[in-house]
Amino acid sequence: MFYQTKLRSITLIAALIFLACYASFGSYFAREIVVEIIILAILAISLDLCAGFGGMVSLCHGAMMGVAAYGFAIMSAKLGWPLFPSALIGLFAAVVFSGLVGWVTSRTNGIFFIMATLAFGQMAYTFFFKSRWLGGDDGFGGISRFDLSMIGLETNDSLVFTYIGLVILLLAYGLTAIVMRSGFGRTLSGIHVNEDRMKALGINTAAHRAKAMAFSGFIAGLAGIIAAQHTLYISPELLIWTTSGEALIVVILGGLGTLVGPIIGAILLVLMKHEISNYTDYWHAFIGLVLIFTVLAGGRGVFGQIEYWFNKLTQKHQSTTKPHGDDHA
Amino acid sequence: MVTTMLEVKSLSKDFGGLQVIHDLSLSVTPGERRVILGPNGAGKTTLFHLLAGTLKPSNGEIFLDGQPISTYDAVKRARLGIARSYQKNNLFETLTIRENLMLAAAAALGKSTHMFKDTSKHADIRQRIDEIAEQVFLEDQLDQTVATASYGNRRQLEVGLALATRPKLLLMDEPTSGVGPNMIDRFHRLLEQLPRDITVLIIEHDMDLAFGVADLITVLNFGEKVFEGTPTDTRGNATVRDIYLGTGGDHA
Repeated sequence: MFYQTKLRSITLIAALIFLACYASFGSYFAREIVVEIIILAILAISLDLCAGFGGMVSLCHGAMMGVAAYGFAIMSAKLGWPLFPSALIGLFAAVVFSGLVGWVTSRTNGIFFIMATLAFGQMAYTFFFKSRWLGGDDGFGGISRFDLSMIGLETNDSLVFTYIGLVILLLAYGLTAIVMRSGFGRTLSGIHVNEDRMKALGINTAAHRAKAMAFSGFIAGLAGIIAAQHTLYISPELLIWTTSGEALIVVILGGLGTLVGPIIGAILLVLMKHEISNYTDYWHAFIGLVLIFTVLAGGRGVFGQIEYWFNKLTQKHQSTTKPHGDDHA
Repeated sequence: MVTTMLEVKSLSKDFGGLQVIHDLSLSVTPGERRVILGPNGAGKTTLFHLLAGTLKPSNGEIFLDGQPISTYDAVKRARLGIARSYQKNNLFETLTIRENLMLAAAAALGKSTHMFKDTSKHADIRQRIDEIAEQVFLEDQLDQTVATASYGNRRQLEVGLALATRPKLLLMDEPTSGVGPNMIDRFHRLLEQLPRDITVLIIEHDMDLAFGVADLITVLNFGEKVFEGTPTDTRGNATVRDIYLGTGGDHA
């Protein structure tokens, strides 16, 4: 079950400050890296709420993000709608898509759930890949960024865009954290731990899981809107299942079921990718080794492990206070 | 006015050729404590499955508080007020006892779908947790993780989860299964203190407890009702002694 502990708040703020500094004091390239981190972090938070809290390991989160990106791009660039309504429609499309996938897959678990979500994700990918109107595998450009000049922000400036991205990351985290603490989120954790007992308590667990997927689609959609506005161009690559796989790596690397972990995981993965690829083409192998080590070391992930040590340390000092977040659900 | 909380009419259940429940009829009045007795394989737990909706009957009708519920699934029956505690612990193992009760209370109070308010801060949920913890004697163990709690505490929580939904009808499947004599006393007290607006069906093997709390006892054997009566009548009944209590004192 989720608790917004002090350690989590401090880590979140530290991560955001680190990213802001990295973007402010770095080059244009550094800002590109930070935006890449932001997109991956939001996607990973969205996946963490499904996988870490709901036990639903999805391989269609890339598609959920991509549907929002395409929805936004089609409405704004192809049909000439204003940007904000287009973004809302993109988000709505992601919620509907995710909710549908969630509804159909809500009675499956484990490997069957993974395979079913993989199939739905690849269906969405193929749909955009095959569409001539949408440029097929090349995708299409002509996308614009939000015009925020009335509040004095030039979104085409890379630093301003990065800051806006950081604000959206904070909002995505905050919203997910609030929902995970609510009756809805805690019940989702309960379904993960013991679905049968939850049914016996009168909860329609299938509908609950579908709603969780829909909410997850909203968060993933935020990442999609940023991704489309970042490169001003979209292609089906966003939806391909390896995008979902990368998000899953990030969640596991950072700490499943912690919400903060995915942000740490995204920072680590993207920085490692860029630093190591300076020296060798085999950076994937290195990340693979790190992931294997993470899993063998207890599977708590980097942030999860730190939290585990921290809780052990504090529980020695004060064994009678309130519970800290546990690392399971 | 409804005079029966639970009405079962010629209920049958067979698995392939095996008839587990055969033409069973029951009538339980509101607030009654009904003990179900019977040797292993008599169909007691199957009866609970049929009442809770986790198994579909082959035949027959079930009415809760006058309402036909045979076609409803387990979730809907739970919402109508049937709660169940299990013979084998069926808990939220990785969560604390407080969190377990919180989930049940949130479900019962219709707050499982609230998306924004922190569940642990709802006054009515907190109040319900405290009430139930007191009823099942777990006030001091609330922050313990279930997986590390003692077996007895876990049995208490098993009943607590069912009670937290404030059921009309509580189905208790061997609440004292596997616990020691001290714990059985504790369950005895727990049962005696349950409010009378809850109707209780108990499967129980501890005879002192069963005869102590029962208003009426129904004895099953091979899926059929072979006897029904007060504890005193049950003790004196020859058939019951024969099939269940045996001739010696070595019953389970």
